[in-house]
Amino acid sequence: MSILATKDTRVVIQGGAAGLNAARRMAEFCYMIRRPLNVDAFVYPPDAGKTNEVPYGSGLLTVPVYKTVAEATANHSQINTSLVYIGADRACAAGMEALNDPKIQLVSMITEGVPERDAKLLARYARKLGKTFNGPSAIGIVSAGECRLGVIGGAFDNLVACKLYREGSFGVITKSGGLSNEIIWICSQFADGITTAIGIGGDAYPGTDYVTYLEKFEQDPQTKAVVIVGEMGGELEERAAEWYGLKKRRIKLLAVVSGFCQESLPKGMKFGHAGAKEGLKGEGSARAKAEAFKKAGAIVPDTFGALGPAIKAVYEELVKSGQVRPIPDLSQEDLPKLPKTVEEGMKAGEVMVTPLIKTTISDDRGDEPCYDGYPASELINKGYDIPHIVGLLWDKRLLSKQEAEIIKRIIMLSADHGPCVSGALATIIAACAGIGLSQAVAAGLIMIGPRFGGAVTDAGRWFKHAVDNKMSVDEFLTYMKKAVGPVPGIGHRVKSVRNPDKRVKELVSYVKSLGIPTPHLDFALEVEKVTSAKKDNLILNVDGTMAAVLVDLGFPVDSLNGFFILARTIGLIGHWVDQKRQESRLIRLFDYLVNYAAPKRREVPPLK
Amino acid sequence: MAKVLEGPGMGLMKKWGIAVPHYVVVTSAEELATLGDANDWLKKSKLVVKAHEALGSRFKLGLVKVGLDLRGAQAAAKEMLGRQVGSITVSQVIVSEMVPHKEEYYAAVKSTREGAEVLLANCGGIEVESNWDRVKKLAVVVGDTPPHDALEKLAKEAGFSKDLAKKVADFAGKLFACFDNEDAQYLEVNPVVVRESDGELVALDAVTLLDADARFRHHDWNFPFAAEFGRAYTRHELDVMAVDSKIKGSVKFIEIPGGDTAMLPAGGGASVYYSDAVVARGGKLANYAEYSGDPPDWAVEVLTEKVCSLPGIRNVIVGGAIANFTDVKKTFGGIIAGFRKAKAEGRLNGVKIWVRRGGPREKEGLEAMRALRDEGFDIHVFDRHTPLTDIVDMALQQQKN
Repeated sequence: MSILATKDTRVVIQGGAAGLNAARRMAEFCYMIRRPLNVDAFVYPPDAGKTNEVPYGSGLLTVPVYKTVAEATANHSQINTSLVYIGADRACAAGMEALNDPKIQLVSMITEGVPERDAKLLARYARKLGKTFNGPSAIGIVSAGECRLGVIGGAFDNLVACKLYREGSFGVITKSGGLSNEIIWICSQFADGITTAIGIGGDAYPGTDYVTYLEKFEQDPQTKAVVIVGEMGGELEERAAEWYGLKKRRIKLLAVVSGFCQESLPKGMKFGHAGAKEGLKGEGSARAKAEAFKKAGAIVPDTFGALGPAIKAVYEELVKSGQVRPIPDLSQEDLPKLPKTVEEGMKAGEVMVTPLIKTTISDDRGDEPCYDGYPASELINKGYDIPHIVGLLWDKRLLSKQEAEIIKRIIMLSADHGPCVSGALATIIAACAGIGLSQAVAAGLIMIGPRFGGAVTDAGRWFKHAVDNKMSVDEFLTYMKKAVGPVPGIGHRVKSVRNPDKRVKELVSYVKSLGIPTPHLDFALEVEKVTSAKKDNLILNVDGTMAAVLVDLGFPVDSLNGFFILARTIGLIGHWVDQKRQESRLIRLFDYLVNYAAPKRREVPPLK
Repeated sequence: MAKVLEGPGMGLMKKWGIAVPHYVVVTSAEELATLGDANDWLKKSKLVVKAHEALGSRFKLGLVKVGLDLRGAQAAAKEMLGRQVGSITVSQVIVSEMVPHKEEYYAAVKSTREGAEVLLANCGGIEVESNWDRVKKLAVVVGDTPPHDALEKLAKEAGFSKDLAKKVADFAGKLFACFDNEDAQYLEVNPVVVRESDGELVALDAVTLLDADARFRHHDWNFPFAAEFGRAYTRHELDVMAVDSKIKGSVKFIEIPGGDTAMLPAGGGASVYYSDAVVARGGKLANYAEYSGDPPDWAVEVLTEKVCSLPGIRNVIVGGAIANFTDVKKTFGGIIAGFRKAKAEGRLNGVKIWVRRGGPREKEGLEAMRALRDEGFDIHVFDRHTPLTDIVDMALQQQKN
């Protein structure tokens, strides 16, 4: 048995992220006691019509979100309780909405900073309807083995440590959320644990007072004693003491009150919860409250620390008198457990997972990425440069200074080639159409292929084929004509022998000046001699030159187009930013740039 | 509770139809002279000048001057402005007209659990303090408005004669309207006087406490709330308040000069039990502090730095109950960062740190705290198995030895 929160409690949570978090905590409790989730619905207008996912055991439950409490209770007829996780400015309206629903009997509000007038109005309305309004600033209510409302009780391990999977004999009422949990723990260590623990909130005017709950506990045969954790300020503790002293009560009452420190503090200095304020005439001091409890016959330990032994003494007395029978502790393996996440299971060596992908170049699991094992910051600090990162990530090797310099020059030479080429034009058209950076650059990159910039890989492949097979230039050209087609890397749309491509000259002369072996470049230049003699524009183009040099450096053939893509991305980004900066408008082709060769206008025949 | 100074307090009463004397709040004597050119009453009336600050016993401190003409008021303003009283500098004075009157009465509205209480007495000033039995009360349930008849009956009970009772009831009705509509927690007018010139009831002095949590629906609350301590907030306190206003959860900090036990506990409830334990064991609190509601680690770090900068501390109490949802590892991360910073700045020499905590990720959090030993911190770490306030006993026991 328990009070307020029972096996029959079904919940609607009013609120967004905080409410969902509470539902997740509640699901852990439900899972622990092997009962279905007690949260049937959420009410949160911004998310109405959507669903929230709540982990339960190893699965996920889907809980609908409604616009109003009425919709929630209409669709889930068992709902009888609402938890309010709505901001202070809308909390009153949310609480009223819940109280107004005929199906809802209990409303608990966690919201802090609710105006006092609102709290009083909610309390009055609940009293009028004969319902319970708990809070504001209330952490929640938990009944061991039955029901958890809100995050009270903390993490799963704590629920188990506090033996909340089965009922004990002690009721708990506190203003403070953190201390409710502390008392639950103490009751589980010094006695047999709790029946129900209620956080009523630390505001000046909690919606429901101790007395209401004390009466409920008095009626609950399972509850043998109640622990109250009070605070200075207000008169709720005095009323509780008065209730207890009025006549012989079945339950034993233990109480502590905080705020004794106020006596020795400079006058006017107050702190703690909003409600922890002495009255203007000094009423409601910790001492007055403690005295009232003592006078009423409650057990009042001198300090919070003495509460544990006091609870133990009460428990032992209850056992001795036969009112309570000790509950044997569960063995370690019988304790409820939350399913482990895959990560936790792997850590414990309990599961093996077949990886979905495999990487051999990069690892981001530390505090910084490692490229082929080398930390990025260390590469920076030891003077390595962007081409070295290309070397590590594309070919898994550390390039020499000389190699890096060649790569750098290749990138610099191919970064851009003006607005007219396919790639830049595509990016510019996209930019003028108002397309974003990544999509517009992608439009430009899509142009890279066999006719524009994308011949590097193919050129490299065939030059390598020729050199590997020790072909002569004639053999090569014959082979290409027969088996492949035009030689990739040879030929240019506008450049020719008389109008040479300076980029090619620059790169060739630099690489040759280094005195390193360049068999592929040498072969490509021999090929050019033959082809350009046949036709003026069949020169070694920039793709072909890059390809030959990169194969000479040992880069894998399949990576070669990447150098052009990488380099030209710099230019494409530049073109997009440039158009953006100019606030360019939408462009389109002029009619006179199109040869309209479509049939003349004609009549549409009847549909057959 | 948030205290409001006289000027804005009287402004709120005026808004709800209560007659108040003419008044101006000024920050310099020159401003008062300029206002004198524009406002006839400043030239024609006898004036009262009061320091417009959250100070008690202003009369004794010479910060209230009465019966002045404009020139005298300027001189009084000049004398008061800039005066230092404790931690408060007088930066404003309120200048109001004196209202000639014979009788003084008392009216107040006070918040209660069920709603409010209207209080009336047919004596006022300091007389009411010593004749509290003459104060008559009427309870009003929240959401209700006291009917005029009931207020008139209350006034008669308080000893007001027939004609005056009607006026007093009218006054009390307006005071209640102000209380109810302005989310007040306490309104007191002492004295209420009958103005000789027209026989109207006038509020001569106002105590106004408002519910700061209701600020979101009062866009005309354009005044600052006064510190409730009778002292100004310190720079460190203001820093922490600024952080508090920005975050989810909360951090709180109040300095108590002369103490040697620094407090850095979690939870609005537990923090007071820790303070109680220090006092009960004969220790002297150097501050009050509290963090709760799973605040971000950087906010806890700022709080820690403030706690570590308190002068003359010998122990730091990092206490806390078993948290429901505050992440112990994360919040302890903030505290550890604060400790490291303090140590690097040469603080915490010879200071003992005492830790007790439970809650989500308690193992990791406590382990991280324990590891501070290796960095040379004199730190003592306990888990949930050590009762809440035992670390205070241990700290103060060691201090004595």
